[in-house]
Amino acid sequence: MQKAWQSLVKHRYPYLFIAPTLIILFVFSFIPILVAVFISFTNMNLAGLADWSNVEFKGVDNFVQLFSDAVFRKSMFNTLIYVVVGVPLVVIVSMAIAILINQGTSWIFKTFRVIYYMPSITNIVAIAVIWGYLYNSQYGLINHMLEAVGISPVRWLQDPTIAKFSLIIMAVWKAIGLNMIIFLAALQGIPRTYYEAAQIDGASRWQQLMRITVPLLGFATFFVSITTLIGWIQFFEEPLVMTKGDPLNGTTSMALFIYQTGFQRSDFGYAAAGSIVLFAIIILVTIVQFKARKKDSDVEY
Amino acid sequence: MAKLWKTTVACMLVFSLILAGCGGKDKTTTADGKRILKVWGMGGEGGSLPNMVEAFEKANPDIDVQVQQIPWDSAHDKLLTAVASKNGPDVIQMGMTWIPEFANAGALLDLSSYTDKYPNLKPENFFEGARETMKYNDKLIAIPWYMETRVLYYRTDLLKEVGYDQAPKTWAELQDAAKKLAARGNGNYGILLDNQDAAFTLPFAWENGSEVISSDNKAQFNQKPYVEAVQYLTSFYKDGSAPSQSDMQLLPAFGQGIIPMFFSGPWSINQIHETVPQIDGKWATATIPVKEEGGKSASVLGGSNWSVFSSAANKDDAVKFVSFMSDPANQIEYYKLSKDLPSTLKAWDDKALDGEQIATFREQMKTSRPSPFVPQWEAVGQLIKAALQQIVVGGADIQTQMEDLNTQADALLQK
Repeated sequence: MQKAWQSLVKHRYPYLFIAPTLIILFVFSFIPILVAVFISFTNMNLAGLADWSNVEFKGVDNFVQLFSDAVFRKSMFNTLIYVVVGVPLVVIVSMAIAILINQGTSWIFKTFRVIYYMPSITNIVAIAVIWGYLYNSQYGLINHMLEAVGISPVRWLQDPTIAKFSLIIMAVWKAIGLNMIIFLAALQGIPRTYYEAAQIDGASRWQQLMRITVPLLGFATFFVSITTLIGWIQFFEEPLVMTKGDPLNGTTSMALFIYQTGFQRSDFGYAAAGSIVLFAIIILVTIVQFKARKKDSDVEY
Repeated sequence: MAKLWKTTVACMLVFSLILAGCGGKDKTTTADGKRILKVWGMGGEGGSLPNMVEAFEKANPDIDVQVQQIPWDSAHDKLLTAVASKNGPDVIQMGMTWIPEFANAGALLDLSSYTDKYPNLKPENFFEGARETMKYNDKLIAIPWYMETRVLYYRTDLLKEVGYDQAPKTWAELQDAAKKLAARGNGNYGILLDNQDAAFTLPFAWENGSEVISSDNKAQFNQKPYVEAVQYLTSFYKDGSAPSQSDMQLLPAFGQGIIPMFFSGPWSINQIHETVPQIDGKWATATIPVKEEGGKSASVLGGSNWSVFSSAANKDDAVKFVSFMSDPANQIEYYKLSKDLPSTLKAWDDKALDGEQIATFREQMKTSRPSPFVPQWEAVGQLIKAALQQIVVGGADIQTQMEDLNTQADALLQK
């Protein structure tokens, strides 16, 4: 004990420097997580919130009930679809756009960089209003255009399956900007010399892209896919503002389910149990992704 | 070096004090000695509230009322936070359906002991339906402020074309009229039935004799009266009289005649005048059709009550404010500002509330009832919506869905 204290005093400066981060992390992340774990074993609701003597310990009841809850299972399935379809789409599309935009420096490339970035900084509610009009089955722009080329109207947000994909399209569109910037920064870090050497060897543009650019973007790709994956497992804003989980819970994501049980039905214990499951899934997926990442080259940007 | 160490510790202390300060108690008086009364108003009502507050402050110069406007969408979340932190407002506008939930949590102050001092708070001043929303477990916890109820809006010209000089009076007539109107074709419908409104089935279930939730807290969804009401309502979707899912804008569709009938509250009167003035004189309102000739029309009573938070810092002034808002004369003033219908019987004697369209609401209000007054109603309402969607969109069997709904609702009600 004495020794530990002495070592703490001796190395006080590094500890002091990380102290603000640690304190904030502790107060706003670790403690809430611990509280949520505790709540997930109780029947905490509004009455319990007002007076703690109303809270009862329920053991793992919440978790048992959760996995027999058809809506929760459906929300897990929906989230899986969102992640499996959405994440690769975001990574591929934003990388492709970054590579295209990186081809030149004239004003048109700069303009498109702004255009692609715009959705990321637009308020989600404004986006919901605009896309709500686009997707409207009666007088939406998309159906209007489809009609012009002779395709019958699509029920973008009213069919449980199509609605999922409508939300994915919108979310991908919104996510491209930020990830494109990350890829662009990485692209600009790749030295010209590799390309020059490849050109001397007679490599085509396609070969240069597949053999130099994409592999060297490894770290950026890893970063983008991990942040996107975590973000998409918590898919929430889009179904909340566009569909509220309708129709037939076809667009309810796990995060939306947690929000609805917690803040609309005030069933905090049950919602906390759901959030613990979500938390466990995210941790698990992240660990798997870190483990799966093979480092076969030490030059990456 | 020792000095730097101390400085750093001091900095961290200041930092943690700032953090602690976020949760600190607020002041109870202003700089010039007025007592602060914090009021939360919801949605559009919060917007027209300051005018009433001005009059209240004039009458009570020693009180400073601070109104905070909260959008309806986020109001429930904000209320939860206020209950949890015990750091809410003094007076709060409560949506009627939320009252039991918050009363059950003990968040609302019992006002029974104040009725002698403030006779405005007495239940007998209010409409019969509204009285049901004032008490929870024999405690007087919410005073009705304004009310609304749902009635039938219909296009007189289009109904005349299919042979109805008056609004449909019975279930059979409503169905017949809707069918004939839908037969116009070209994407036209007969009626809009919003199955994503939790209260949508209630009037019909009540008219058919269902209690929906019995007095001993048992769900009645699988019982014959409720099932019959659902069967009746879903038949409109089946034969195409009503759109089963719709994202069209109601008022323009009403104007174009695509939707010639719908159920809505008093706010639609002004909205129709403003959005589609071209159909002025071609539409009217009527009470909700009765099941059979001679039956009693039922509708859902909504609106807002005033409550005092049990953790209020300024309880006495809070009750005074609630009493001021329930004064019939002030309610008429507020009606002129907002067109929200007053909750006191006496206010309706004023000639400001004359008029043909208002008369329908007055008539309907006599037999309107609030949604079942149980803390779990919000959650049960979500289940009803989900079940209806399974039937209407998913094509599920009505009786099976209602059995499921009943089991789920009972599980909630036992909690």
